Amino acid sequence: MSDSQGESSLATKTPPRGRSTAGGGAITAPSPAGRARRGRADWRKRAEIALLSGPAIIMFLAFVIFPVVMAAYYGFFKWKGYGVPTDFVGLENYLVIFKDTAFHEALMHNGFIVVMSLVMQGPAAVAVALLLNQKMRGRSLIRVLIFVPYVISEVIVGTGWGLMLQTSGAINDVLIKIGLPGWAVDWLSDPDVAIWSLMVILTWKYLGFAVILFLAGLQSIPEELYEAASIDGASYWQMQRSITLPLLGPTMRIWAFLSIIGALQLFDLVYIIWGQYVASTAGTSTMATYMVANGRNAGNYGYGNAVAVVLFLISLVIALVYQRFVLRRDTEGALTEGKKK
Amino acid sequence: MTRKIRSAAGTVALGATIALLAAGCAGGESAGSSDGSTSMTFWHNSTTGEGKAYWEATVADFEAANPGVTIEIQAIQNEDMDGKLQTALNSGDAPDIFMARGGGKLADVVEAGQVMDITDSIDDATMKALGGEGAFNAFSVDGKIYGMPTAVLPGGIYYSKDLFAQAGITETPKTLAELEAANDALKAAGIDPIAIGAKDAWPAAHWYYFFALRECAQETIAEAGKTKTFDDPCWAKAGEDLEAFAATEPFNNGFLSTSAQQGAGSSAGLLANHKAAMELMGAWNPGVIASLTPDEKPLADLGWFPFPEIEGGAGAPGAMMGGVDGFSCSATAPKKECAAFLNFYMQKEYQEGYANAFHTLPASQEAQGVVTEPALQAILEAYNDAPYVEIWMDTTFGQNVGNALNTGVVDMLAGKTDASGIVKAVNDAAAKE
Repeated sequence: MSDSQGESSLATKTPPRGRSTAGGGAITAPSPAGRARRGRADWRKRAEIALLSGPAIIMFLAFVIFPVVMAAYYGFFKWKGYGVPTDFVGLENYLVIFKDTAFHEALMHNGFIVVMSLVMQGPAAVAVALLLNQKMRGRSLIRVLIFVPYVISEVIVGTGWGLMLQTSGAINDVLIKIGLPGWAVDWLSDPDVAIWSLMVILTWKYLGFAVILFLAGLQSIPEELYEAASIDGASYWQMQRSITLPLLGPTMRIWAFLSIIGALQLFDLVYIIWGQYVASTAGTSTMATYMVANGRNAGNYGYGNAVAVVLFLISLVIALVYQRFVLRRDTEGALTEGKKK
Repeated sequence: MTRKIRSAAGTVALGATIALLAAGCAGGESAGSSDGSTSMTFWHNSTTGEGKAYWEATVADFEAANPGVTIEIQAIQNEDMDGKLQTALNSGDAPDIFMARGGGKLADVVEAGQVMDITDSIDDATMKALGGEGAFNAFSVDGKIYGMPTAVLPGGIYYSKDLFAQAGITETPKTLAELEAANDALKAAGIDPIAIGAKDAWPAAHWYYFFALRECAQETIAEAGKTKTFDDPCWAKAGEDLEAFAATEPFNNGFLSTSAQQGAGSSAGLLANHKAAMELMGAWNPGVIASLTPDEKPLADLGWFPFPEIEGGAGAPGAMMGGVDGFSCSATAPKKECAAFLNFYMQKEYQEGYANAFHTLPASQEAQGVVTEPALQAILEAYNDAPYVEIWMDTTFGQNVGNALNTGVVDMLAGKTDASGIVKAVNDAAAKE
């Protein structure tokens, strides 16, 4: 992003000053008029910005900022959700959260999902994107197969996989029928296996999203670089290593950011597959499912809000740290850092 | 936005005021519109088949008998009911008539001033049909009545007579040892002995409740219901009993990912399709099983026997654990019309219709003669002989501690904790309230 905004763009828009008077009449300094025009333009620009961004800002304040503030407020109360909260307990909810082993487990599971999502989806998505970037037969079919899971809604994915992975479900049936009864395990309820089942489903579902991003990133790499490299006698793999991967860097870093945030807030798939109660038993609970189980389902709205605040703070800190240290190069000038003079 | 909150608070205050007024001057005002017509919303949990049809017909009859009153029905899936109801009550937009099971869950809502006190709105005929005040125990908070029962739902073990015969079992088990012997016989015949829908947590917890019912004295259970803590050693003992029983592997394969009532793969579905021989459930089960059989008819060979006795427990022999389903009016409902509807469905013909539609036991004793299914007759007999009937523990304890107890039982069955984990889960949950 260049900083062609404000002054420079305005200057080009102001009409040419003065009149070209034949006969060389003295040109009166038009500065007052110019200033007035400049002021009018300023005001008009402000009105335009307000008009165009106003609705979005109002929505954002009403449906994001306001609920966050209210959650923080409710989190200081023991509150059953009826009427106005009155039982102020200060930080007690937070103490209970930090002492609760079930929350520690949920946090560990979230961490595991964050790391494993990057490890499992990243390399696979790069490989698939490189493959789909080639001209080859059956390319569109592979594309469709990769993207379909991403398009299907989480509820359908959860229900479908949930039914197939049940102990008496289709997958175990197939394994037994092809003579591998030893491989038929409790995919969903064995605590050692369940989280891996979840990871496989997540990878299957969100791989398409990563591939879309990487394909877009590959499109933006100039062809000339590859031509130059091939003239210099570089092999295909050398080209990928020295040109494609470095130039895909910004795309990968943005994808990783989205993946981390998504993994921290994972809720829907777990809730659909394991239901309201047994996610913690199966070892797949996340902070969000913990919040719903111990907040809404238990009728402890004060406590649930405190959990929401903790989840918000954890996500916020991770997001800010990531932006500061990883995304800094990519977002130079795009974020509000003021103009470098 | 802030106005919204204030108005919600206002609604609650208004609701409380109305409830106070209503209690003070025995009704007389109805929140009707100017032309004298009143409309109410009605939430129940039968989303399919006969139960849904029953409520539609009953409401239509009530509307015909009370011109100017309309009732809008909403059927809500059972597993979603608690959450949706809570949300509706929080937002001050509660249904006028809603499903209630009494106990701690109802007490929470009463405490918030959200439920109408109907103590003085119960007709004499209704009282007579229910056989007196005792029928309202589950719906009473501090001596006032907040709900009208529709069904009594004592629990016990449902079994398939065909599968028992197939395994060569001639007598239903009376003791725990006999139950374990029956399990072995069934396993030897290649049949899963007991279906259990642990994915929904509460069906698995039933097993713990019944062991506790046998191990703990009546006073101990009543005490725990008040304090919501498990101090008496009998609670841990019940957990150890269940642990020992679970170690004999009596449950269906993959019970931890089995749901209770949804589809042929659920625990009720396994029993309905002869994939498992037994299930420990409340008296709503014949209706649920009927909806899951291949021809959607009641299971012909369904039988029932009480939970086996345990030697040396402090609980009285023959004691039962069960629930009461019923309906309450929200504090903001038009009092006269709402109470009229509750009394209306308590009439003999509608209670008989209820029993037939839901394949269960009606609350009205006058209507209990309509019960013909052998399993239900066996329950009724045991129910009438029982020295006392305890309410399901998760209902008694309320949503927070009740859910923690249920999940604690599942954790133990999955081998994540031991028997002491159940007691710990209950005592820890209190900190979150």
